[in-house]
Amino acid sequence: MSQGSASNRGSGDPDSTGINLDDPAVTEFDLVAEGARRDGVEIVRYRPRFDTDSPKSAAEKRIERTIALCFVLTGVAAFAFVGIFGFWEWKYQFGAGADKWFTPLLGTAMGVALLGIGFGLILWHKKLMPEEVAIQDRHDGASSDEDRVLTGATITHLAAETGIKRRPLLKGAVAFGLAPVGLMAVAPLGALIKDPGNELYTTGFTGGVRLVRLDGSPVRPDDLAAGGIETVFPGIPGGTTNEHADSPTLLIHLREADAVKVRISPKYADFHYENYYAYSKICTHAGCPASLYEQQTQRLLCPCHQSQFDVLRGCKPIFGPATRALPQLPISVDSQGFFIATSDYKEPIGPAFWERPS
Amino acid sequence: MKLLFDGKRKERCRRFAVLLLALVTLGGLYTAFAPGSTAQDESAADDAASIQAGKVLFEQGCISCHGRGAEGVTDRGPSLVGVGAASVEFQVSTGRMPLPRQEAQAERKPSSYSPDEIAALAAYIESLGGEGPTIPDGDLRGDVVLGGELFRLNCASCHGFSGGGGALSDGKFAPSLADATDRQLYAAMQTGPENMPKFGDNQITPEEKKAIIAYAQSMKADKDPGGAGIGRTGPVPEGLVVFLIGIGGLLVATLWIAGKS
Repeated sequence: MSQGSASNRGSGDPDSTGINLDDPAVTEFDLVAEGARRDGVEIVRYRPRFDTDSPKSAAEKRIERTIALCFVLTGVAAFAFVGIFGFWEWKYQFGAGADKWFTPLLGTAMGVALLGIGFGLILWHKKLMPEEVAIQDRHDGASSDEDRVLTGATITHLAAETGIKRRPLLKGAVAFGLAPVGLMAVAPLGALIKDPGNELYTTGFTGGVRLVRLDGSPVRPDDLAAGGIETVFPGIPGGTTNEHADSPTLLIHLREADAVKVRISPKYADFHYENYYAYSKICTHAGCPASLYEQQTQRLLCPCHQSQFDVLRGCKPIFGPATRALPQLPISVDSQGFFIATSDYKEPIGPAFWERPS
Repeated sequence: MKLLFDGKRKERCRRFAVLLLALVTLGGLYTAFAPGSTAQDESAADDAASIQAGKVLFEQGCISCHGRGAEGVTDRGPSLVGVGAASVEFQVSTGRMPLPRQEAQAERKPSSYSPDEIAALAAYIESLGGEGPTIPDGDLRGDVVLGGELFRLNCASCHGFSGGGGALSDGKFAPSLADATDRQLYAAMQTGPENMPKFGDNQITPEEKKAIIAYAQSMKADKDPGGAGIGRTGPVPEGLVVFLIGIGGLLVATLWIAGKS
């Protein structure tokens, strides 16, 4: 390729009848140009940037050095990356320490290495390799009617060649053999479908189960100041883990002044204990924890989509996309003075699902 | 002769005045620096003076909304009887009180009162009766690790995982903890200012409160990898910055390369 010169340009002319490939005078560039010509590509301009027969000029040497520098920089940065990654015993330390430089340095080293390759190649192409302009004719729009008739015939002829109409045995065998292959691809999707059974309707709470904190300790009424809240879980094995991720409940201790304003359906009249109310923490819209409690305006907020629930009205939704009230957990206090659930929630908690009775 | 007598008397008077001045100064210095032998009486007297000073301040700055005797004024300000010294210190030292106007939320601003004046106000409010919460003296920093767990469970839902704060309903918001002092954090948990729930000592023990404070303050002291915290609200602003600056930079680079060739 580098042997080409401006004098060879003419041999790429598509109007000529081509060159004799056996002619010993044919250069490598002549072959390249001939190949392009046969593909309908015309090389209209081809000019080396430097005369490769004479000694290197100062400008050529300078460009070579610049490109070499790019690749050397890449090598150094890549070694730096490996060195930093392999030999720096990185450990998080509190505050402003050298450890805060670990990730930025890795990123910088990798960035410099990749940029070096990129700039090296771009410079090589733009400054050292010959200037070239090649043109290939492309037709506009769709293929001609003639071409389409010919191509269509080629395809239908292929079907005729298999003789599938004449050979019903093969037709059946292929159908029997290939259809299950499609089934093979679809079948694993079926494994993703699981019958949840009763799980969507129940939580970890049942009658007599204590309300416990994250550390498992039970909660007494005295523990919560008026105007306070506590996230509680069912006091059963695994109750505070993801196994019962549907169970987190917000226990709210209303102030006396707010408690007298509570208006709740008679259905839930005995669900609360004194001024303590327990509502599911799982938003009925999309299942986020609706636990932003405003103790003056008595609203519960869900941070995901800004649903708001009125605590004094049985946590009915008053703003946002949620349409159902947060289910209330019926609570009481056991003989030892700890909060218990008197039963599970009366409605399925959380967002709607297909079979949910509305 | 008469003149001479007058001159002598004047001289004597002057000496007497100087002596008197010296004695008074010395006595004043002594009482100022020497520990009082009757500290009990004096602190009682101080309390009385402090309560009186607090009453004066209250009647100047707070009475219009909280009413005479801090009993509250309907639709303006709640009763402060029994709210406790912690509440007074929180509200006044964060500049939330006095309130410039009635709106969704009292915002933090430079306090209008000196620590002594705040203490006097607190003493006055305490003197009105009721056992309100107080802030313990001494170091308020506890176990950071425990604090982290408690913070994420109890505080992060409103104040954000890194204490940057967040929105509530109707223009209210959970404030950023960036400027909060140890005592203010303690007081806020104990008293539940504005719409914050109250976290009493039975629910979150004083030790646990100190742990939460240690964690909240340690987050502020930590350095942001990469230099800028960008609000410290996590991957959303970080992603936005990477997208805008990163993709923007790539676009400029592409245009530049295309323009050069």
